[in-house]
Amino acid sequence: MNLKSMLCTTALVAATATAANAQSSTWSLAEAAAPYAGTTVDVVFLLRPGYDAIQEMLPAFTEETGININIVTHPYENALGEQVRDFVAGGDLDIALIDLVWIGNFAENEWIVPVEDIMARFPELVDPALDMDDFFPLVLNAFGGWDDTIYGLPFDNYSGLMFYNRCMLEEAGFDRPPETWQELMDVYGPALTGDGQYAFALQSKRNETQSADSFARMLWPFGGSFLDENFRSNLLSPESQAGLNFRQDLMQFMPDGIVAWDHAETVNAFAQGEVAMITEWSAFYSSIVDPETSRVVDCVGVAPEPTGPAGRRPALGGFSLAVAAQADEAEQAAAWLFIQWATSAANAVEYLQRGGVPARASAYADPALAETYTFIPALVESWAEGVPEFRPRFAEWPEISEVVQEWGTRMMLGEVSVEQGATEIGTRMEAILEASGYYSGDKPLAQ
Amino acid sequence: MTRTQRSYAIQLLLLAAIIVICVFPFYWMVTTSLKTQVVALQAPPAWIFEPTLQNYREALFEDGVGRSLINSLIIAVSTTALALVLGVPAAFALARFEFRGKRDLWFWFITNRMVSPIVLALPFFLIARNLDLLDRHITLVLIYLTFNLPIVIWIVTDQIRGIPYELDEAARMEGASQFTIMTRICLPLAMPGVAVSAIFSFIFSWNELMFGLILTRSEARTAPAMAVSFMEGYNLPYGKIMATSTLIVIPVLIFALLASKQLVRGLTMGAVK
Amino acid sequence: MRGRTSRKTIFAFIGPSVIALALIGIAPLIYAAWTSLHFFNLTRMRQFRFVGLDNYQTVLTDGAFWQAMGRTFFLLGTSLPLQLALGLGIALVLHQPGLTLVKTLCRLSLVLPMATTYAVVGLLGQVMFNQRFGVVNQLMGGANINWIGDPTNAFVMIIFWDVWQWTPFVALVLLAGLTMVPGEVEEAARLETKNWWTILRYVQLPFLVPGLVAVLILRTADTLKLFDMVFTLTRGGPGASTEFISLMIQRVGFRAFDQGLASAQAIILLAITIVLARIYIRVFYKEV
Repeated sequence: MNLKSMLCTTALVAATATAANAQSSTWSLAEAAAPYAGTTVDVVFLLRPGYDAIQEMLPAFTEETGININIVTHPYENALGEQVRDFVAGGDLDIALIDLVWIGNFAENEWIVPVEDIMARFPELVDPALDMDDFFPLVLNAFGGWDDTIYGLPFDNYSGLMFYNRCMLEEAGFDRPPETWQELMDVYGPALTGDGQYAFALQSKRNETQSADSFARMLWPFGGSFLDENFRSNLLSPESQAGLNFRQDLMQFMPDGIVAWDHAETVNAFAQGEVAMITEWSAFYSSIVDPETSRVVDCVGVAPEPTGPAGRRPALGGFSLAVAAQADEAEQAAAWLFIQWATSAANAVEYLQRGGVPARASAYADPALAETYTFIPALVESWAEGVPEFRPRFAEWPEISEVVQEWGTRMMLGEVSVEQGATEIGTRMEAILEASGYYSGDKPLAQ
Repeated sequence: MTRTQRSYAIQLLLLAAIIVICVFPFYWMVTTSLKTQVVALQAPPAWIFEPTLQNYREALFEDGVGRSLINSLIIAVSTTALALVLGVPAAFALARFEFRGKRDLWFWFITNRMVSPIVLALPFFLIARNLDLLDRHITLVLIYLTFNLPIVIWIVTDQIRGIPYELDEAARMEGASQFTIMTRICLPLAMPGVAVSAIFSFIFSWNELMFGLILTRSEARTAPAMAVSFMEGYNLPYGKIMATSTLIVIPVLIFALLASKQLVRGLTMGAVK
Repeated sequence: MRGRTSRKTIFAFIGPSVIALALIGIAPLIYAAWTSLHFFNLTRMRQFRFVGLDNYQTVLTDGAFWQAMGRTFFLLGTSLPLQLALGLGIALVLHQPGLTLVKTLCRLSLVLPMATTYAVVGLLGQVMFNQRFGVVNQLMGGANINWIGDPTNAFVMIIFWDVWQWTPFVALVLLAGLTMVPGEVEEAARLETKNWWTILRYVQLPFLVPGLVAVLILRTADTLKLFDMVFTLTRGGPGASTEFISLMIQRVGFRAFDQGLASAQAIILLAITIVLARIYIRVFYKEV
């Protein structure tokens, strides 16, 4: 066993996986799960299409494994608080549901177990068909990884896409969606705004929507970012300012009260044909093409987000599932089996058909699927170009996000100028980072 | 038209306006709960439409609102009962006994009613966690005492003080203990006050949101916490939210209407001293 | 003269509730006071450390905290006078003789808003005040008012719901006060003058004072506690226009997870509450 201790964990896992591969013909979920039948796994879910999809598929898993999944649903805005409280208090959760901006937080607090550790602990539970390379690398690293370690497997995956109303665009004489943000503002904006209709809507409500969907979305394409390489605020750089000022200008082509709009209002306005274009998460595709909620089913077009001077920097967001450190051994084993199953390549197509968005490259290989699910090409393209630190993923993000939410909305409302707002956010953000020890060298500059 | 007739007409108009303003939101809540998603999001809103019970079906049978209503009922009833058992003797003592620091003690009881729940929320969460009391009915029953006990003590103390002290003396002459005096003499006469404080306790407990949100997850989740959990921001299930709201509000409204006489009297008591 | 009662008896009566309230009400407060002296962020537990009064210094010098406090008192200062004026009006109308059936009906409808779950009031507000498919804009003749997304309008909307929910309470309390006026006194006064204001001021007001005091105390306390309705209606937005003090503490403590800072804010709020309650009770409520 001396040799083994000298191997790095990765090699060990590889070895395990190979060993498992050798007997792949004999590996079955039911057999692997047999010792854990009757175990109950607690997890927080959201009320979103991807979660409904997996819940519909769940009976098959429970039947095969005897493992019960106890799901508690929370609105997104409560899900972080709910989990943080549970982990701090050593509660019941066995699986962590991790938005990409929570990963640094969960990992640094050691609330979640790296995938390698799980594989090393339970080699017999590793599905030989797991194939980690099949996940889109950007997605796997951003949603599930922190500090070069993979903790979670991507489960509910989004990229920002541009949904456009083809009919409205055609009526105004456009045969394609705008390529660049500038084109959207200069050409499409005036042509599509008027008579109670608006060219564009950017969900900007004061919650994570403001910081992720609104603020960050305009920062990156213009070459801006939250932080510079020294982790000082980069919000006053000419690029960041250009992006934020662009957002301010673009509001003239958006409905009033956009500062109070969350995803729901935005998607609904698009679905009612009142707004010609929105940039929204891929996950909304299913409700936009559902005749029960949408009047524009036949007009929906999907494109990647427009580019800016710095290229295409679509919003990136999504959730991974990771095994919780506080779970006992049987719960960890059962949790892993569930995560592995829910994100598996084998289930990916069914997950997609039921309304989920898998992060498995193999799931999108079939060109026939792209005809039914017209968002696929844009999604795949976006995942090739996204930035993982679209929002910094370190432990301080929730606090910083609160600051961005407050001043970002006040900026949009005109209560402070763009520059003032950026200064306020910058000062507060740096104070938070200072307290964490990034500037004294106590903490590596990882985001 | 005579002067009296005109005055009646104006009065009638005012009264009608008051009634409409009070009741209209409920009308809108109930009608919205009977709308499908598409109708609920129609602009301008529809007044005449084909009603559906789908929202109620979903809320009750798929989302477990029924269970959360039962939880709320259990919690509200238990905490009210406990507040009475603890509060009535204390009120009796404050009204009848002389002791040092009485005024401060009374003030401290009442101050609890004023404390914002957010002050207690997190420490209580951590303590409850250590005692393994999260997501249990008993936790909410206890924490709701922080506002129910002051109500009971406030109202019942006032009520007992209004009972002639001679009655106590007469009973004491016949050798009755303080406990007997409380249960046999004062309690029956103070019943209106007790009833009122019970009604208030029940309503406040039934309606409470923040503690319910923080201290329960599934087993003991209360109805208001449940209603809020549909607000994902991902779609606008207003029909369902209004159906859940209706289910939460109807029991307490019926209760309040049945008890409205005592309720109004109670306002005079706790308040008008 | 009341007889002395033994300590044991007194304790038997009052002890259980004192102990209960001490354990449930005071223990968490002590814990909160202790927390407020530490850097205590739920997501950064490893940096947990004693920081003395740093958190208090941060709160006391934080403009946002005092803005939220000011906003809270501004709400109290705008909605309470409205509630008193409307409540008094309603009480006077209901106090008029005649139309018994309609008045009973009216009294019953007044009970409804008070009993309504506060969170539901907020949800209802979202539905009714929606700019596009809300019934309020429709009733205002197809107005296109942006209620939820505009800072001033959102504040007005909060005032509206606060007034809707609590004016009935004020009305019923004052009505109860009016019915305490001895009939013969009031009749005598009515023979003297037809002026309702004179009657109100000199005959009825003395009977209304205790009720008004109770309203003042309870509404002040409840405005400082105000959370549920605003949380479900605007969550403090847009911007910070409806972020009242309890919402702010909740945001700092449970969304930014800075428990130390939130505890310091809570303790300061508690101090303000106690001072106010003391003043009110000392000044107005002389009993006990």
